[in-house]
Amino acid sequence: MPIGNPPPQVASEVLGPAGSTARAGVRAARGRRRGNQRFHRADRLAPYILVAPAVLIIAGLRLYPLALGVNFSFTGDGDRNGQAVGLDNYSALFDDPLFTAAMRNVGLLVLLLPVAVAIPGLLATLIYLRVPGHRVYRGVYFFPAVLSPVIIGAIFNLLLAFDGPANSLLGAVGLGPVDWLGDPDTAMYAVVGVHIWATFGMALVVFLAGFATLDPSLIDAARVDGASIPKVVRHVIVPGLSQTIQFVVVTTMIGMLTSMFGLLYVMTGGGPEGSTYLPEYYIWFQQGQMGRPALASAASTVLFGVMLVVGMLQLAVLRRSGRED
Amino acid sequence: MAALAIATVYPLVFTANVAMKTRHEYVLDRFAPAEGLRWDAFAAAWTGADMGRYLANSLIVVAGAVALLLLVGSMAGFSLSRLRFRGSRALYLGCLAALFIPFQVIMVPLARTLGQVGLVDTYPGLILAYTAQFLPFTVFLMTGYYSRIPAEIIDAARIDGNSLYGVYARIMLPLGRPALLSVGILNALFCWNDVLIALLLMPSAEHRTLMVGVTALRGQYSADIPTFAGGVLIAAVPVLVLYLLFQRQIASGVTAGSTKG
Repeated sequence: MPIGNPPPQVASEVLGPAGSTARAGVRAARGRRRGNQRFHRADRLAPYILVAPAVLIIAGLRLYPLALGVNFSFTGDGDRNGQAVGLDNYSALFDDPLFTAAMRNVGLLVLLLPVAVAIPGLLATLIYLRVPGHRVYRGVYFFPAVLSPVIIGAIFNLLLAFDGPANSLLGAVGLGPVDWLGDPDTAMYAVVGVHIWATFGMALVVFLAGFATLDPSLIDAARVDGASIPKVVRHVIVPGLSQTIQFVVVTTMIGMLTSMFGLLYVMTGGGPEGSTYLPEYYIWFQQGQMGRPALASAASTVLFGVMLVVGMLQLAVLRRSGRED
Repeated sequence: MAALAIATVYPLVFTANVAMKTRHEYVLDRFAPAEGLRWDAFAAAWTGADMGRYLANSLIVVAGAVALLLLVGSMAGFSLSRLRFRGSRALYLGCLAALFIPFQVIMVPLARTLGQVGLVDTYPGLILAYTAQFLPFTVFLMTGYYSRIPAEIIDAARIDGNSLYGVYARIMLPLGRPALLSVGILNALFCWNDVLIALLLMPSAEHRTLMVGVTALRGQYSADIPTFAGGVLIAAVPVLVLYLLFQRQIASGVTAGSTKG
């Protein structure tokens, strides 16, 4: 995991003087092992005490609400508050055109996923293979990824307004104005396009980190043997980066499912005609605006099911790469 | 490549240019460069939209959440990576599992639970919610980082008479500095950029965070686009500064877990 400096180096830097005393300590310690034993007994609880706050917070504010929410989705709203209603919320959910629209949009996101992964992948390949000065490009491409979706959305509200610059540009080349965010047929594509614009730098950085682990001599050897660039990509780079590609696929999917709320909230508010709803927006709408928390919980549970499938995939990837012991 | 770089930067430049214009200039020509550097729009947004208050709210909440995340996360990371105990593996996997619970899935019951204990619309409530949200990620990274610190260092410190708490405070915290910086910056960005959690848990206008404040700008300045643009950019500046200073740490944080480092 490339966080900061590799620890061994850090260790020798920081522990220069302390390390040598420690080593002397090891020699001296054989004699006083016995004395330390009481000390170690007092430390027996320490691992638990150190981990306890994290466990309490995660269990209390993430795992417990999850169970509570699933449970909650089988109870009623309003007059039937707290009563068990079986699967009523779920049938109401799938009868609600807003929710089915949201699920259709999830399908659209899945279809667009290859695009969202391929763009940064191709760019990273180009940068890696031939562009000098890639640090500058990386720095520029990555910046929108750290901006809040709220800010991105506000900026694109200006750019995509009906009388805004995007349409002026189209007009200049003789194409009619498009009501990007006002037309139910284009609004979702516009929002997803902005999301991809805002986040491709993130995937690009991940891809570049993956490239850094490739053995350049393999690529050189392939080139010397006369392989064309597309062939090198297919037979050397893609197999070498399989883990990185999996990681990007899963994180991009999770990003699309859970971090577009800010864009939707600022750019379309779910409209026009409910065409830009996603499950996360639906949940917020039913909970915050309509006062139907139980229905919202049912939608949460459905979203969780979708996420679970994605999460399983990611867990497999992370476990392979996370802890090396 | 360069064209794409322009496409990446242009929306920001355009917005900055708009913010320098007068309303009249904007209506006449959206693209032409502003007639000069003019800061009226920024000043108008700052005072008119109460952005100073929102900025202060955001700073309080982000500082609180990041401090808590680093403290709790590094303690847990030390314990899970270096101190084998019964159940440590299960706890680590539980933490990983919590990574995959998005906020949207638990927001209804979480808001209700926090409401019952009187933490909705308070700073501690939002700080706690952010901590819970980003803690699994923090624990995951700190555990990974600490598990590569050589065991001899810890043994040596123990033999020198440190308790485990002493090892944590004198060895693990200083040695973890690069990871803590990286994770801290990343968490600060996550919290700073969030709008959904803040919208849900901080309903009153006086407690709005900066990002929630930005969403309100649109309605307030729908007829005054330069001021709107100014307000949006004010909210973007802190992130820009953070990015310019810590780009390397941010990049290394988001790529963690993607490769066998």
